[in-house]
Amino acid sequence: MISGNRSKAWRIISWVIASVLILPIFIMLGSGLSATTELFSHLWDTVLPTYVLNTLSLALIVAILSSLFGVTCAALITQTNIKAKNTLRWLLMLPLAMPAYLVAYLYTDLFDYAGPVQRFLRTTFNWNSPNDYWFFDIRTLFGAGVVISLVLFPYIYMLTRTAFEQQDQNLHRASRLLGLTTFQSFYKVGLPLARPAIVIAISLVLMETLADFATVQYFAVNTLTTAVYDTWLGYGDLSTANALASLLMLMVFLVVLFEQKARMNQRHQSNRPITSSHEIILTLPQQILASVFCWSLVILGFLLPLGLLVLMAIEYASLEQIDELVSTGFNSIELAVYTATIATIIALVLVLYKRLHKDKLKALPINVSGFGYAIPGTVLAMAMLATFGPLDNYINDLAANVGIEEPGLILSGTIFAIVFAFVVRFSAIANGTISGGVEQISASIDLAPPSLGVGRLKGILTVHIPLLKSSIFIAWLLVFVEAMKELPAVLLLRPFNFDTLSTQIYQLISDERLEQGAIGAILIVAFGLIPIIWLNRNEDKA
Amino acid sequence: MTHIIEIHQLQVKLQQKTILSDISFGLEAGDILGLVGPSGCGKTTLLNTLAGFIEQEAGSISIGDSTLITKDNLLPPEQRNVGMIFQDYALFPHLSVEKNIGFGIDKLDKASKDARISELLDLLELKGFEQRYPHQLSGGQQQRVAIARALAPQPQVLLLDEPFSNIDARLRNELMIEIRQLLKSLNMTAIFVTHNKDEVFTFADKVAVMYQGKLLQIGSPVHVSQHPNSWQVADFLQLGSWLPFKRKENQIETALGYIELDSLSQLTSHEQDPNVKTCENNDFNNNKQVMLIKPKDVKVDVDAKANVVVNHIGITEQGYHYLVSSIENSEELHVKRLSFYHEQVFELGQELSICIKPHQYLAF
Repeated sequence: MISGNRSKAWRIISWVIASVLILPIFIMLGSGLSATTELFSHLWDTVLPTYVLNTLSLALIVAILSSLFGVTCAALITQTNIKAKNTLRWLLMLPLAMPAYLVAYLYTDLFDYAGPVQRFLRTTFNWNSPNDYWFFDIRTLFGAGVVISLVLFPYIYMLTRTAFEQQDQNLHRASRLLGLTTFQSFYKVGLPLARPAIVIAISLVLMETLADFATVQYFAVNTLTTAVYDTWLGYGDLSTANALASLLMLMVFLVVLFEQKARMNQRHQSNRPITSSHEIILTLPQQILASVFCWSLVILGFLLPLGLLVLMAIEYASLEQIDELVSTGFNSIELAVYTATIATIIALVLVLYKRLHKDKLKALPINVSGFGYAIPGTVLAMAMLATFGPLDNYINDLAANVGIEEPGLILSGTIFAIVFAFVVRFSAIANGTISGGVEQISASIDLAPPSLGVGRLKGILTVHIPLLKSSIFIAWLLVFVEAMKELPAVLLLRPFNFDTLSTQIYQLISDERLEQGAIGAILIVAFGLIPIIWLNRNEDKA
Repeated sequence: MTHIIEIHQLQVKLQQKTILSDISFGLEAGDILGLVGPSGCGKTTLLNTLAGFIEQEAGSISIGDSTLITKDNLLPPEQRNVGMIFQDYALFPHLSVEKNIGFGIDKLDKASKDARISELLDLLELKGFEQRYPHQLSGGQQQRVAIARALAPQPQVLLLDEPFSNIDARLRNELMIEIRQLLKSLNMTAIFVTHNKDEVFTFADKVAVMYQGKLLQIGSPVHVSQHPNSWQVADFLQLGSWLPFKRKENQIETALGYIELDSLSQLTSHEQDPNVKTCENNDFNNNKQVMLIKPKDVKVDVDAKANVVVNHIGITEQGYHYLVSSIENSEELHVKRLSFYHEQVFELGQELSICIKPHQYLAF
């Protein structure tokens, strides 16, 4: 529908953007897989089995625990008459805002030998040494699984709840008329129908788990993520790090396939919402049990960690801390603004390419550019290093040959690489938001401007962009927030002496002195709340 | 008179499938053409091709004196000087009525633009609604804004995609007459798509019946309904029922009895177009001939031997509407459904005797 050279230019730009975004991954895979069988067999003989086993065990623990938490809460909120339902409904989403590594640190502080809980137990029961009693150790693989599940289960809760709520009410009416009780009807109809949604949610949680770096690092659990980090920063071995990252990438790819398959099974959903007449009525003991379950998750996943942070902040706040916060905060904002702006512009170009062109493969650029969301920050960072490191060397050699001053690592050693990695990772968010906005615009609106003699580009500027204003803003905001929070990619790519809010917090956690960064940590949580508030608001509108 | 739009052997392919083939017709200034046909016949594709949203594979479209569009000279929609009313109106939701109408005439200077908007607001009785937004208007008002917006750049041809499908059935007829008068007063050439035959007879000067990407017949509604050139035309316009027959010289055998022809020319036969495939689930196969029986040509003859049985009774303004099937069980000549109107009340399952009034018979 866009005609002539402009159309051609638009097509070329879209394809170039998509290729550039995905290229570093292929370069990394290429260098990782060509890293010879020799290297791999060495790895296989030494550390690799443990790394892989740990990674898989962690994934399994998180999958089981978070679906237990998420599906149960979703069922209780949508299918029963649990007390304070409307409050719990949104409270249960809040743990998403809490980075797992913060919870890991705070709970270690709380539950280790010198922590207040064990101290209290010792004084109460007159125990003198660890030999007198058993207490769980949180700094284990299982502990990491619990902590990660506590902050990721809301994904499953959210998607499953939506699936339950959008089920056709008539299906439940029919099963009731066929003689099933409310509980049987939920078990035999509601739950099976929600299965694809649950599987999709689990795969999202698995992607996040595979991407986690700071929690396992802090708990000293060696997974593929920490291995990539150690191999590169510890031993400076780029090709081994690439090989490990490629392996991690492979696992993510399997999860993505799993997710795509589940999406295909997703059934038609209806908007006849379930009414209260189908509620399962809980007995008093059931009511108490259900409430304890939900409230524990809210408290353990959000309220308690936040409370601890606030206490720390009150106790240790100082002017010095705020000074430091301002300077690292400024770095974070700079990165996030660049990322959000670039990702939003790219999303607009690709979404409108898909919408307004008739090419057969018009959806490919946007799909390709969205793939980065599944890729762990650590892997992306390796991809940047694998791509821009050699490119920098080439540029410097070229400069030396021509006789001008060598520019140094202008690509891999500056925030360029970080912003690039961020854009790859978060493009999907901007794409999704703006696509959603475009779908709201009726298809004939695309045709109206040319039928009135108005050219395409002017049509886009006067019709599409104004109509997409709020989607553009939301897309920008969501990417901004994610970029503020992202940690592993920055850790691997940051220039010397460059700290962001999240790397600073991470550094303080590693040094066991988070007290001095408590305000920053609260800030990160606050940023994390923005998209959740937006999600809730959206839901209220619907 | 010269044609304001002339289409010559137009062909359109989408994904290697031929959607339109060999479409040719011309319209004079002020003509209103109704495109009809079953869904999937290509009528909306034709509209979109004329507008420039779909590229043609072969053939030409000429608009006005100067514009000739061929495969090698594909003008983009914005340069064709063709206006369009979309089925859902496609009003810009973020612009007021006034700005929607003015959208296509930015090239004019401010004074003439304002004058044009004001003229159109008057013409379409939208005065007082200038500052409203589309969502604050009723369906009929929205349609009037869409018409005003499309007319503003003074297009040579106006295209309307199912213009009345979103209008309340009760208001539809009135609105059709109103808009027809408006288009006539502006001498505006228009092509509209519909699947409703009543709209054609109220709104159009000419009707074009399409079937499987081809134009079967074009002409005035009266001419087409009196002289349909193929059974698809008669079938789509629901001109009557189909009566199978066998012919021996001047005698025609049907399930309702024998019909004597005064002369051989009293039966007009149309050859089946070999390029148009017949569907399987109708009364047609290659060995069987059928004639078109319009309801007005059916006569009830109470005294004769019963030959049909009443299957359905409906009440309409034209009297009782009956659907009958033949009692005769000869498989070849059996008629499943014959429709006619009658003043008298019959009962469901009652056996009747009917005959066909002598007229110029149409056979396919």
